[in-house]
Amino acid sequence: MFPIVYILAVSLSDTASVTQGKVFLWPKGLNFEAYAQVLNDIKIPRAYLNTIMYTALGTFINVLLTAMAAYPLAQREFIGRKQWTFFIVVTMFLNPGIIPNYLIVKELGMIDTVWALVIPNAIWTFQLIIMKSFFEGMSSQVREAAKVDGASEYRILFSMMIPLSKPALASIALFYFIGHWNSYFLPMIYLNTDSLYPLQVVLRDMLVFSEDSGSALVEAAALAPQAKKNATIVLTMIPVLIVYPFAQKYFAKGVMLGSEKG
Amino acid sequence: MQGSGIARLGKKIVRDRQLLIIFLPCVVFYLLFRYGPLYGLIIAFKDYSVFRGVMDSPWVGFEHFQNFFNSPDFWMLFRNTFLLGFLTLVFSFPFPILLAMLLNEVRVSWFKKGVQTASYLPTFLSVVIISSMIIDFLSPTNGIVNKIIGWFGFESKYFLIDPDWFRPIYILSEIWTNAGYESIVYLAAIAGISPTLYEAARVDGAGRFRMMFNVTLPSILPTILVMFILKTGQMITIGYEKVLILYNTMTYEVADVFSTYVYRKGLLDNDYSYGAAVGLFEAFVAMALLLISNRISKRMGGSGLW
Repeated sequence: MFPIVYILAVSLSDTASVTQGKVFLWPKGLNFEAYAQVLNDIKIPRAYLNTIMYTALGTFINVLLTAMAAYPLAQREFIGRKQWTFFIVVTMFLNPGIIPNYLIVKELGMIDTVWALVIPNAIWTFQLIIMKSFFEGMSSQVREAAKVDGASEYRILFSMMIPLSKPALASIALFYFIGHWNSYFLPMIYLNTDSLYPLQVVLRDMLVFSEDSGSALVEAAALAPQAKKNATIVLTMIPVLIVYPFAQKYFAKGVMLGSEKG
Repeated sequence: MQGSGIARLGKKIVRDRQLLIIFLPCVVFYLLFRYGPLYGLIIAFKDYSVFRGVMDSPWVGFEHFQNFFNSPDFWMLFRNTFLLGFLTLVFSFPFPILLAMLLNEVRVSWFKKGVQTASYLPTFLSVVIISSMIIDFLSPTNGIVNKIIGWFGFESKYFLIDPDWFRPIYILSEIWTNAGYESIVYLAAIAGISPTLYEAARVDGAGRFRMMFNVTLPSILPTILVMFILKTGQMITIGYEKVLILYNTMTYEVADVFSTYVYRKGLLDNDYSYGAAVGLFEAFVAMALLLISNRISKRMGGSGLW
């Protein structure tokens, strides 16, 4: 916990106190200078908006497709149910590495578009399995009754099952949300245009360019925006901190399932 | 007979047609993005050229693999990947167990909840944020770690460019990010211990410490073993995303692992075929480890991954 409090303290302190190392748990010379700097830097607000957009779109697609994949698999009589399940679960153990993945995305013309971030990971097999077992637990009588009344499968899924399974959908949505919000590697390899970068990539550039060279000179030059960097970190963390208490309720379940089934 | 079999299948398809339509996007997704890359792997045996595509690039057989095995990088990567994975496993493994056992002894519920909340949190922060905290803390001029060792009269040190420090830093940060989250499994195992065991121990006059070591620990030992074996299987699939941010030219010699190398050679230098070959080798080793560890875990009576 200390590192997080410390980052917050630095982001709220004045530059002089930061450089002299006076800041520990409590900000010295409280001010919002760093936050003002962040908001005035054209790159960061834009990246923030990008991240929000990618996360919203990505999570929506994830949840929709996961539900659509899980629902048929959860029906006992669904044709080829076992084979489909095998077809999906096997992929958890086949990992061809980043190059073939990159080439597929490239050949589909998705490089440098939002789609590269949301489509190739539209379904996480693990979340699909969770969703499938949730649907399996739901009463099949509901579905039978609806079918007798002449409802189509689409209607059953979209106007009955999905509204009825809000808690489960919320829990997988949280994991997808955090995944999109935190991802930096995929945007880094799939996006080439600065104006498309999400927050994590911009943040990473701030880090790597200021420190990577390993020379003391560069580091000295990077000193001034220390508070600014921390302000960016804090702003990046906020959404995760907000959803975190909600997410926390669900992890135990996810972890336990993970330890049993993978 | 066969005809009626096909007829029955056809009937089933007609019956399930709506379900099949709902399921279609999922099939397309898995074919394209999970099986498609497997097909793309054949470029590891070809001289892939962007202009000719996967199909028309010339075959070269095992040339890329040979080049890789014969290059001096191979042993460096092999050593780094295994050492980093192994050391992380060995040093970080006990922490979640310790945390779970200690949390189990806490009787004040708000304190227990608070500690749990704080310890899970880092798992949910991004690799970039975690790494930036590490970089900040270790900064030679005004990082807090150097401030503290300064009080004791030591010279400040640029930890991140020192090859000797890369592994300890990486391992410590892994412990910090994962211990809380991983403790959940052990907490659940502890919750499953029969209270009668504790009663019996208390009657025999055991104190809290004795109970921790003589009741709790042996009772969760099977869980510990299974977790350890499974973790061994995942040993070399280490967090390259973090390595990628934390390492630099000064620490390549200890920090470069298979996946970061694939990224640098394959994507940065555009040597797709070579990168794919290295990636395939890594996947192969990872798979072998996973299969072995899973088999052992099953044989020991624990539940495997599948």
